[in-house]
Amino acid sequence: MISTGVSGLDEMLGSGIPRGSKALYSLEPGVNGQLFMISTLSCALARGLSCLVILPNTTVGAFRNDVAAMYGARLDLVSKPVVFIDAIDRERIQKSARSDEARAREWQERVRKACEDHKVDVIFAYFDLLYEDFSLEKAMKILDSARGGGKKVTLIVEHLNLEGAPLLERFIRELSFDLVLAIRSSFRPVPHFNYFTLVHTSWAPLPVRSVPFIIADGRVIPYIPRIVVTGPSNSGKSTFVTNASDEGHSIDRRGSDGDKTTVAMDFGWLRWKDFDITLYGTPGHTRFDPLLPPYLRHAMGVILVIDATKPDKLPRARHLIEMITKRKIPYIVAANKNDLPDVLEEAEIRKALGIGGDIPLFFISAQKRSDVQLVLESLVDSIMQFSY
Amino acid sequence: MYSYKTGIAQIDQISGGFEAGTNILLLAPPMSYADQLAYALTKPLQGEYAIVLSTNERAAEVIDAFKLAGADKHFTGVIDAITKSSTPSIADTQRMMFVSSPTDLTGIGIKFSNMIETIFEGEFSDGEAGLFPPPIRFCVNSISTLLMYRRLEVLYQFLHVLTAKLKKIEGVGIYLLNSESFDDKTLSLIKQLMNCVIEIKIEQNVSYLRVQGLQGVSGDWMKFSVSKGQVTILP
Repeated sequence: MISTGVSGLDEMLGSGIPRGSKALYSLEPGVNGQLFMISTLSCALARGLSCLVILPNTTVGAFRNDVAAMYGARLDLVSKPVVFIDAIDRERIQKSARSDEARAREWQERVRKACEDHKVDVIFAYFDLLYEDFSLEKAMKILDSARGGGKKVTLIVEHLNLEGAPLLERFIRELSFDLVLAIRSSFRPVPHFNYFTLVHTSWAPLPVRSVPFIIADGRVIPYIPRIVVTGPSNSGKSTFVTNASDEGHSIDRRGSDGDKTTVAMDFGWLRWKDFDITLYGTPGHTRFDPLLPPYLRHAMGVILVIDATKPDKLPRARHLIEMITKRKIPYIVAANKNDLPDVLEEAEIRKALGIGGDIPLFFISAQKRSDVQLVLESLVDSIMQFSY
Repeated sequence: MYSYKTGIAQIDQISGGFEAGTNILLLAPPMSYADQLAYALTKPLQGEYAIVLSTNERAAEVIDAFKLAGADKHFTGVIDAITKSSTPSIADTQRMMFVSSPTDLTGIGIKFSNMIETIFEGEFSDGEAGLFPPPIRFCVNSISTLLMYRRLEVLYQFLHVLTAKLKKIEGVGIYLLNSESFDDKTLSLIKQLMNCVIEIKIEQNVSYLRVQGLQGVSGDWMKFSVSKGQVTILP
């Protein structure tokens, strides 16, 4: 196995990319995903594997500097066994060969010779220009030609995917790629939201799943977005988090009124629409209010749970809304306990909370998983469409 | 919705300027000072931001041109696709980012996203505050050069993404294209991505422009001149 250098991804793949396989890192335009290729290259070199890097749209010098800027000094591209075919080579081929066929042959020869001379274990290819110059099949033939011998050369391809899912399908069905990883972006400036989707693995029946990530300290770090569940005390937040989650944890104490009350954060994890989501349920008592701003700071959305039978608690909920709106993040209101008598009218609640019709409000019973999931679905939709 | 003033009094009075989300094709023959007009339209006004993707001039030259036009350099960023080929070690700053060549659409897309993100996070202007949400003017100088390096179909797809993003962040985009170097198919395909076209022509050393797709503005040719970032419609 060759490690991708992204620990969460390696775990999903079963410790990395199998030797001799073909892997695609498909980048959507604008998504900062170049570190996937570079960290995989770094891991291959660290294992002493001989690598060929094909970079038709840049020079070796510029690539080394880009890598140093992105990845720091951890990747040694000077003393390690790495050989390059770069933009200067492409230009020479363009000039010397008259036809597309002749150019393809020249490319093929250069790749084959580099692999033979340097006993290459892994080819890292930046694919865009090869694809544009020769079409998908012919470009892949160039790369595949070096993999035909007895040695199992691994092929890792990075491609700027301007064609979306149909192109990924072609890599899987027509070109028999073993791993297809799509690196995508929500393109919302604040908070910026990148994620990778494991689209296909040939060696294990892994589910299609998406994991957000951030780039920090020259590393790709899978990132779990935060949804905060808040509301006045005894409104049903812990029940909500528990019923929303695949797994979770709550820290409760018995309150003075005999009811259980949350005294620290509730945590819950769930899978929703290919995202791994973490829920943070806050304690509802006012004495815990200082906890709320730090938790809202990195939140992508908020669910405000209120007790739909307790009008006296609505001023407190309104105060919480004021704290939420300062962060300019989407939020929705879950009016809980709609299965009890004396449930307030929607208009009364909206008036008391000072919210207009643009804020979704659901009457739910937090004890019903289907109600809870309806609220979550609405919030995830709001997060994806929120205009900042 | 925010309106971006063109800086041309006669046009701003009638139309109020460009609506947020407008993508404008600047179609001009060579030697027509089209880049000066593009920079004048891109120049950030008070509280606005500008980003230039430059495939023809170095970042320092672009910044100089904007400073000459009276723009605040703290609110002007450049994605430079020229300098890195001769100076591979050049490092990015918040407002000057470098890609290896105009072929590098991956790099261009990433730097564009990075700059937008930096603006939205308030880290673009060394602590000086602009408006929020930030009005952003974006200029591509030029599509003609990009077309020399990448195929039309690929560039169309790329620009499709870029123009859509501009709409989403409610910016304006100004894209220069040489009107004499490309066939009708190319022009018509690129026009499909735009909602406003400004054409330039030169006759007897006089520059003319005409605007199509801007509400209230007639499509007649108008004489104009550009000096220090100021466009003047001549009688």
